[in-house]
Amino acid sequence: MKAGEARGRVLVVDDEMHLRLYIAAVFETAGYEVRMARDGEEGFRKATEWKPDLVSLDLMMPNEGGLKLFQRLKADAVLGQAGVLVVSAIGGDTFRHSLKLVQSGSRSGDGGRLPDVDGYVEKPPSPEALLREAERILEGRSATAPAG
Amino acid sequence: MSDATRLLLVDDEEGIRKVLGLSLADRGFTVHMAENAEQALALFRELAPTIVITDIKMPGMDGLELLRTIKAEADGSADCGGRDVEVILITGHGDIDLAIQGIKLDATDFVTKPISDDALDIALGRARERLSMRRAIREHTRELERLVEQKTRELLAAERLAAVGQTVAGLSHAIKNLASGLEGSIFLLGKGLELDRRAYLEQGWEMLQANVEKIKNLSLEMLRYARPEALKPAPCDPALPARQVAELLALKAKAAGVELCLAPAPDLPLANIDADALHRALMNLVGNALDACQTAGFGPDAPGGRVDLSVSSLPGGGVRYSVSDNGCGLDEEAKARLFTAFFSTKGEGGSGLGLMTTKKIVEEHGGSIAVTSEINAGTTFSIVIPG
Repeated sequence: MKAGEARGRVLVVDDEMHLRLYIAAVFETAGYEVRMARDGEEGFRKATEWKPDLVSLDLMMPNEGGLKLFQRLKADAVLGQAGVLVVSAIGGDTFRHSLKLVQSGSRSGDGGRLPDVDGYVEKPPSPEALLREAERILEGRSATAPAG
Repeated sequence: MSDATRLLLVDDEEGIRKVLGLSLADRGFTVHMAENAEQALALFRELAPTIVITDIKMPGMDGLELLRTIKAEADGSADCGGRDVEVILITGHGDIDLAIQGIKLDATDFVTKPISDDALDIALGRARERLSMRRAIREHTRELERLVEQKTRELLAAERLAAVGQTVAGLSHAIKNLASGLEGSIFLLGKGLELDRRAYLEQGWEMLQANVEKIKNLSLEMLRYARPEALKPAPCDPALPARQVAELLALKAKAAGVELCLAPAPDLPLANIDADALHRALMNLVGNALDACQTAGFGPDAPGGRVDLSVSSLPGGGVRYSVSDNGCGLDEEAKARLFTAFFSTKGEGGSGLGLMTTKKIVEEHGGSIAVTSEINAGTTFSIVIPG
């Protein structure tokens, strides 16, 4: 696969260096184009510059960094198109429950209700689970996205 | 009354013993009789009657002396199960002063000769009432004690369970992180070999080493915590562990660009402490303080970070250690969970066992550890070891 013909652009945001390198390698070796970011701030900057198709995100980074980035991405007309795959140490059910709690809380000042995340993989993430979720999210995007 | 109550009747006049004895037996008592106080005491010790009716005026030991002795012996055995005895005095006409003395000595009542049935019934009624009241109080007390003990046990069990639950949850989280790291290393090494990519091999190799190191440290610290560490206190200079820690961490502090200051404490009186254990406790605290300064942004190129370590003796003979930093400080949640297992503010860098171990060491010295902290201003830990 030549450069530019990658399966899609994935931005990996995680504060743990090892996990970041690992997840990046998983996507890279599967044919995705990959960039990395260490925190929410860097993640938003790189997302704005590079316009990824998918953001792999650790929601539980210090200082609510992950959650804030998720909100900012979804509130942006262009960046909101990117799929968000959450990678978290919190079990799936507990995660969805706490996300619901956050969603139901008044967040109008931050741009209205939070949408649901597009995909979820529990830590430690296996390569298969990461790629399966990524593929599912991206397929859904291209099916609904306007042609071109 | 349930069992026939044992009653001891003491009078030197045989006529009174006979008449009164019959009358009491008729009321349902098991009556034993003695003709003087000495004989009465022997019978009292042997039969443990619950009611004693005694004449005051008798040759030899008199009724009041008998009363005093009996009450003293009953009180003496009260601790081991308790022994109730009611004493009714028989007085002659005009012996009212003696009767009052008797009441002061905790006699139940007195009846005057010639003894009327009514007066006797009233005195016996009072005796029974006092006996059953005291029994009821004792039962209530016992029940209360049992209840308190049971509730305390339940509370302790609940606390211990909660602690175990927390520990297991924390441990499984730590292991999950380690598994995550190991899985990552395996993946990177595998891809590195498969694609012949040196960058993946190097990353995977580094990650594997870091995770193995983490496993080693975690298991070592858990072992150290789990092992019941018997303290070996010995009289020594309480400043010794502080000096050692300051020396050992001087290089680390310098590399981190943080000023580590040990307040000189000349000629402190010797204290009975386990210097090695306190050395470990202070290592933890000073190490944390250095980390806090780095987190706050102090470093080799950003001077101003400072950690103060001090030792002082307390008026009562104890010792106080204090470790202060001007680092990042702790928020309320961190302060509340500071001493629980596997809680760490350092993310990857902390095992969440250091402060728990420190607290354990301090408590085994009979001491206490306290923390004051303000976010972005600094933290102070004080350890007080009693003398």
